[in-house]
Amino acid sequence: MKLDRRGFLKISGMAVAGGVAVAAPNVGAAALAENDVGILYDPSKCVGCRACQMACKQWNKLPAESTNAQTMPVEAGGNKIYDTPLGLTAQTWTLIKLGKAGQIGWHFFNYQCMHCTDAACVTVCPSGALFKDPRGFTAYDPEKCIGCGYCTQFCPFGVPHLSTDNRIAGTLTGRAKAAKCTFCQDRIWNGLGGPSCAERCPVGALVWGKQADLLRAGTQRVDTLRAQGLSTAALYGENVAGGLHRMSIIFGEPGQYYLPENPASPAVARGWKDAFHWAGQAVFGLAFLGIVGAFFVSRRAIRMEEVE
Amino acid sequence: MSVRIKGTSNVLAIRWIPKYTTLERTLHWVHTATFIPLALTGFILFASWLQPLAQGEAGLFVRLVHRIAAVIFIGVPILYAILQPRRLMMHLREFLSFDKYDILWLRGAFPYYVLGRHGDMPPQPRFNTGERMNAVVTTLGTIVFAVTGIPMWFMRGMIPPSVYEGLVIIHGVAFIVTGVMFMVHFYLAVVHPMMWQGLVSMRFGVVSESYAREHHAIWYYGEKRAKQQWEASHKQPDSEEQQKG
Repeated sequence: MKLDRRGFLKISGMAVAGGVAVAAPNVGAAALAENDVGILYDPSKCVGCRACQMACKQWNKLPAESTNAQTMPVEAGGNKIYDTPLGLTAQTWTLIKLGKAGQIGWHFFNYQCMHCTDAACVTVCPSGALFKDPRGFTAYDPEKCIGCGYCTQFCPFGVPHLSTDNRIAGTLTGRAKAAKCTFCQDRIWNGLGGPSCAERCPVGALVWGKQADLLRAGTQRVDTLRAQGLSTAALYGENVAGGLHRMSIIFGEPGQYYLPENPASPAVARGWKDAFHWAGQAVFGLAFLGIVGAFFVSRRAIRMEEVE
Repeated sequence: MSVRIKGTSNVLAIRWIPKYTTLERTLHWVHTATFIPLALTGFILFASWLQPLAQGEAGLFVRLVHRIAAVIFIGVPILYAILQPRRLMMHLREFLSFDKYDILWLRGAFPYYVLGRHGDMPPQPRFNTGERMNAVVTTLGTIVFAVTGIPMWFMRGMIPPSVYEGLVIIHGVAFIVTGVMFMVHFYLAVVHPMMWQGLVSMRFGVVSESYAREHHAIWYYGEKRAKQQWEASHKQPDSEEQQKG
């Protein structure tokens, strides 16, 4: 294995980062349950056929979208776009993008919900539409969604998107629904198999299974790739956001893949949802009791004949 | 107004003093009628036990009600500023005044409102300290609700999540403060046995002369005379006569 100075620095950096992550209290591996399932994505196997995109659209009955590169300004990608659509939307829950990143240069990368154990979207969702399935993925009940869009704001990966029939009317009335990859929850719940993207992938770049098995497989694959000379190969998702149930193998800094280095669930959001809301209720309750108490005391104490 | 007392030939004459304009009373009730649905729909997000109301179609309806009520709620002070700007400025100036009589009022408020101990309340202008506190909280609250609510409504995706989060929390804090103030205001204005004239004045725009004399001496007698009377009666607490004369 060739190891230049840069590669050495990267590996030692990752080792330090890994050490920090293990030392941090929020380690996903510790919270891993026996029946946790997940997806592992290996871009070194991906051929960019976009079968995952098609399978996702077919199973989830999502309409096609058009991207008009002709009318797009050059700053936004203009006439040199490689992907359509350009990003995840309410109708596109999994997406292959071509990009230049890390040690192996141009390669495809799959974007979909990362199914964080410590999911910011679930923390901020006020209606319980987004919730954690006991198997670890982030499930979604569109019936409960009220379209507040908090999940679209707080997701560190920018995954959920709001869909609305009419943009202006939707904004004015607040009528919209969030949408994102559901890990094909209906397939899982009904015993029909795993996520359609992973089931359809012809080259094994997307695989699904028990999270514990995937962790082992991912680590082994990283070792293999490193032995083949890809010294920056690393498993992304093992230790971030409490452990991702959609892990990726990357060849460089997460930032090169538009993945956050440390996608922590917003701590303030948790405080606001739990402590702040309870505190608010307590204040209202105490004020109400105080007023009722004052009423009974004053009704006895006040002599009405003195009142002007 | 004169009222014949039942079963007698006695006539009770009451002098009424104007306090609010028709527009002020109308806007007060519009503000009330929009604050209540705003508070109730907002409270749903505070109470996890009310979560079924925040889900699906019910949740979409709640969000629509909150938006419609919010537009009217913010429109009220704007309409007031356009139609009666001088009255608005006069009120804002009054609301922001604070002196030692307000400290005395705050000290006397609990024994007075809860235990009914009369005679120890300092003279007050057209609005007493508590009313002015309510007015300041309402005014600031409306501004804070608008300043945080409008970006939350229209600028989602344009502002960073941390700022958005801050807006949500400030909106919630403003709700707690104004919500408690609303409860106290409702109690003192509607429920409290001594304060029945507040509701009368907000309905008909007037208060009786005796009420104004008793509760708003600075407004009734003028600042100098009212304060002189107070000082005189409190230098020699025995001579009740002096105060009445």
